[in-house]
Amino acid sequence: MNSFPWLTIFVVLPISGGSLIFLFPHRGNKVIKWYTIFICIFELLLMTYAFSYYFQLDDPLIQLTEDYKWIQFFDFYWRLGIDGFSLGPILLTGFITTLATLAARPITRDSRLFHFLMLAMYSGQIGLFSSQDLLLFFIMWELELIPVYLLLSMWGGKKRLYSATKFILYTAGGSVFLLMGALGIALYGSNEPRFHFETSANQSYPVALEIFFYIGFLIAFAVKSPIIPLHTWLPDTHGEAHYSTCMLLAGILLKMGAYGLVRINMELLPHAHSIFSPWLIIVGVMQIIYAASTSPGQRNLKKRIAYSSVSHMGFIIIGICSISDMGLNGAILQIISHGFIGAALFFLAGTGYDRIRRVYLDEMGGMATSMPKIFTTFSILSLASLALPGMSGFFAELIVFFGIITGQKYLLMSKILITFVMAVGMILTPIYLLSMLRQMFYGYKLFNAPNSYFFDSGPRELFVSISILLPVIGIGFYPDFVFSLSVDRVEAILSNYFYR
Amino acid sequence: MEHIYQYSWIIPFVTLPVPMLIGAGLLLFPAATKKLRRMWAFPSVFLLSIVMIFSIDLSIQQINSSFIYQYIWSWTINNDFSLEFGHLIDPLTSILSVLITTVGILVLFYSDNYMSHDQGYLRFFAYMSFFTTSMLGLVTSSNLIQIYIFWELVGVCSYLLIGFWFTRPIASNACQKAFVTNRVGDFGLLLGILGLYWITGSFEFRDLFKIFNNLIYNNQVNFLFVTLCAVLLFSGAIAKSAQFPLHVWLPDAMEGPTPISALIHAATMVAAGIFLVARLFPLFVIIPFIMNLIALIGIITVFLGATLALAQKDIKRSLAYSTMSQLGYMMLALGMGSYRAALFHLITHAYSKALLFLGSGSIIHSMEAILGYSPDKSQNMVLMGGLTKHIPITKTAFLLGTLSLCGIPPFACFWSKDEILNDSWLYSPIFAIIACFTAGLTAFYMFRVYLLTFDGHFNAHFQSYSGKKNSSFYSISLWGKEGSKMLNKNLRLLALLTMNNKERASFFWKNTYQIDGNVRNMTWPFITIQNFNTKRIFSYPHESDNTMLFPMLILVLFTLFIGAIGIPFNQFNQEGMLLDIDILSKLLTPSLNLLHQNPENSVDWYEFVTNATFSASIAFFGIFIASFLYKPVYSSLQNLNFFNSFAKKGPKRILWDKIINVIYNWSSNRGYIDAFYAISFIGGIRKLAELIHFFDKQIIDGTPNGVGVTSFFVGEGIKNVGSGRISFYLLFYLFYALIFLLIYYSVYKFII
Repeated sequence: MNSFPWLTIFVVLPISGGSLIFLFPHRGNKVIKWYTIFICIFELLLMTYAFSYYFQLDDPLIQLTEDYKWIQFFDFYWRLGIDGFSLGPILLTGFITTLATLAARPITRDSRLFHFLMLAMYSGQIGLFSSQDLLLFFIMWELELIPVYLLLSMWGGKKRLYSATKFILYTAGGSVFLLMGALGIALYGSNEPRFHFETSANQSYPVALEIFFYIGFLIAFAVKSPIIPLHTWLPDTHGEAHYSTCMLLAGILLKMGAYGLVRINMELLPHAHSIFSPWLIIVGVMQIIYAASTSPGQRNLKKRIAYSSVSHMGFIIIGICSISDMGLNGAILQIISHGFIGAALFFLAGTGYDRIRRVYLDEMGGMATSMPKIFTTFSILSLASLALPGMSGFFAELIVFFGIITGQKYLLMSKILITFVMAVGMILTPIYLLSMLRQMFYGYKLFNAPNSYFFDSGPRELFVSISILLPVIGIGFYPDFVFSLSVDRVEAILSNYFYR
Repeated sequence: MEHIYQYSWIIPFVTLPVPMLIGAGLLLFPAATKKLRRMWAFPSVFLLSIVMIFSIDLSIQQINSSFIYQYIWSWTINNDFSLEFGHLIDPLTSILSVLITTVGILVLFYSDNYMSHDQGYLRFFAYMSFFTTSMLGLVTSSNLIQIYIFWELVGVCSYLLIGFWFTRPIASNACQKAFVTNRVGDFGLLLGILGLYWITGSFEFRDLFKIFNNLIYNNQVNFLFVTLCAVLLFSGAIAKSAQFPLHVWLPDAMEGPTPISALIHAATMVAAGIFLVARLFPLFVIIPFIMNLIALIGIITVFLGATLALAQKDIKRSLAYSTMSQLGYMMLALGMGSYRAALFHLITHAYSKALLFLGSGSIIHSMEAILGYSPDKSQNMVLMGGLTKHIPITKTAFLLGTLSLCGIPPFACFWSKDEILNDSWLYSPIFAIIACFTAGLTAFYMFRVYLLTFDGHFNAHFQSYSGKKNSSFYSISLWGKEGSKMLNKNLRLLALLTMNNKERASFFWKNTYQIDGNVRNMTWPFITIQNFNTKRIFSYPHESDNTMLFPMLILVLFTLFIGAIGIPFNQFNQEGMLLDIDILSKLLTPSLNLLHQNPENSVDWYEFVTNATFSASIAFFGIFIASFLYKPVYSSLQNLNFFNSFAKKGPKRILWDKIINVIYNWSSNRGYIDAFYAISFIGGIRKLAELIHFFDKQIIDGTPNGVGVTSFFVGEGIKNVGSGRISFYLLFYLFYALIFLLIYYSVYKFII
């Protein structure tokens, strides 16, 4: 194929473009904002162009590969490459980050640093999703932690330092295990460290060692994903972060955990995965119920949405661990779909907060009359989040259900139990989402503030929410948009489990 | 003929552009879209009438030659799994699509006037069109997944429309309740669908039935599991059709605008459960236990609904309970295996109940002008009465609807209900006795509604005696925005509703007696009557506009004549054989009738007449009791509590009073079921949420926080230790040296 280093450009472009921001003359924030948005859009368009011309959808192998030796004595390569599975998250990253920069336009304080950090995150995330090397994966994993920490601790809410510290401790703690696992895999059975995914995928380990590695990776990804009981950083972080950061956190960062779970745990350690998956399914089912029933007890709006994200992550875990074609497809679809829906919900909650300056649900009420547009979009997205048919969330959950039903790994009784409990989550979800809507918008309540008139969302906010809404509905009507990307790759991944 | 079927996939999608356009318009260009207001009603009616013509044509085709047409597209292509999207045209579909479109058009027409002053006029039409889209999609769907999709979509439409007036706290509670209750049913439906897929590997109805039959025939299935799946599937129908354990949402759903109650919560959406059971009838038939369960749930609902309707004050609520009871009849008929009777009752009931609801909407519309915009008042039957004089046309229509629902012979519901009652005698005498008794109850409560509303004196002037001081939010304003102004300046209340037509607001409230064509508009601003209690001029309700009366008249025609499609006209064909040619039987394949194994002699006129006389006499008995109790005593105060009229009757009146009190309490407390749910489920979930939140915060989050705090203190301690003073270090050094020496010494001693 062509040898043009597309992926390297995608990884390097945002951060290098971002570092140019510091060279700008002091002439107001406007230039910086436009510049950042320009870079984001340019990157997104470039990615779309490159993928549509140089990426074959029906090829399950790694494509657009690049392989440069980076550190000589260490045998460390700059290896990039994408396949059908990582294509979706990369495009999602581009899309959500662009919208997040657009959503961050009200930010005026220290906007140089802010926008640089956004672009740095962009690079880190794309680098993560496209890296084909364990050590590079780890480096990218760490690279995107620092911008999040700074974004959180500088532009957050009142308790931002507490949440930022909690975030960095949790994730850095998880990264230790990731590094240990990576080094372990690389050093096993040879004197030279080998970090390449493909060589490690073809290697087989003693079962005990494999389980050991698996646990290490699992802890790292469970923090990020999050899987209970390692989820408590998430509500705090989401509750305090600025909403543009929240969009990135909910839309992309959480997906990195799920991505790693498939990319490393499933592909590299198949035996351990089939040993662990029943337990993980139980954890996933518990997570759905647990988070969905914690959520109604939250007074803080953003925390409530954050718990709903935790609950939805449960479906991804179940899909990944069902070890069936459909389950994994459903998990990928859920990754994409929740990326859109979660980001949009946090965005809308943030814009609502900008206007009424209240975070507690029981202080709100009757906002529908003054802000009909926010009300409309918020209702539609809440309905999407509770898996209304015609939206993407429904399909993802349905296919995960089918994955469990058709999976050959589990017995009838356990299947019945799992589906039953998952479906209970389906009852709990509307309870907290709709009561959130009711408390915010419905009813009639005069605010104590003398000036109780709020602006409805302007064209920028409307644009952001509609442009998230369109793919949500589009996938809901025609889920093959996402399936066509991932079907072949999923089959290739799963073939490991059946033909060994 | 073929080509009609070919294009029938378009049925659900014709009305889809309306909600899409209105929605986009309202989001992007709100001002321009709102200016076009009435213009939007036209395309929605127009498109729906296209669908109506189309579906009538289809059903004529179906009558002529009953054949099932199915067309399928593949939707998602996965390796071992493909979802399909298709449409299935069979008699059931054609009947329901005609029903939906006819009632839908009439209701759209009606609501053009009913909602004309509402700020949410456009939103209303968007929701309505979206509802017809999804309902038509539901009835034309060809597989279970599609059914589930549209099932949820109609649920969401119902949610949006119940919460249409979202500034009312009650409405917002009601819509959430409706959605969550329906979701409980959907939970069952989804699990049932998944279970069936697991058993048969298919979603398509016809494949499904075929495979399932084979499996049953070869005895290859686990009966427990199959029954479980069927029960789960049925629970979807229970929730949607407001059957016994999950009926609680339907009465609350009456918070929505009245046209919605007519279309969704009486005629079409609540019939979706019946439709589902009818669609899966071939499946349910081979699992005998489930049929008994359906019949049992049906009869419980029939009885419960009727008893709960007995003492409701709110006119719409009593109609809602009556809907529930009638849906129970249909479920009962399905459970007994008389498919035809159930569908017949579905059709007749839909038209009669739509008529009744539109009639009640017209009454409410008239009463609102007098009593203010509060469902506590304008829908309160205690405050009505004597409306015959003021709104004669509505009265006639309402009376005809009432008579039909009671089962008085020439009207529609008589034919179907009679059929169900007859069949119930064949099925089980106990069920039949309950069903017949409930038929009497139906007549009783329907006439109670009628008499309280239209007979006697106009009671609205007694609203101050009604015991409730209304200081609720409704009395402020519907849309709330102008409410605060009103509190400051009482006389500014004419600006309460932001009307499109500004000139209407210029009428002053004293002009109520001005008699011209615009009385309706003029009296509208009376929303906050109680501010004027002292100087109010008594006014009387007025008949609604022609736009509202016209659909009611059409529905009256339907109520009069729709029974004809199920009446068997005996005719002799060329060979001189008795031929049964009622339209409904022609449509519905006779193989589905379980009870009448031999359709040739199903028409026995003598038997028919005796049965009909029996059921009609029960109805008349109910009417008689009702008129005995509720015939106004010309002392309006006594009308308020219906057992007051017994005050001077008979020596046994204490016992009688007690019985009546029990019934009254049972009914007005909604059978204590709502309270039970509120305590057990809602309270339970709240407690659980608090408990888990506590657990999450204290234990799961507490652990890392605890670790953090501990490490902080340890760090502080160490910092203190390493504070940098030489003497401190020396002390430590000496101390440890001493300890070392001691240990060394003791060990040394011990060894020696």
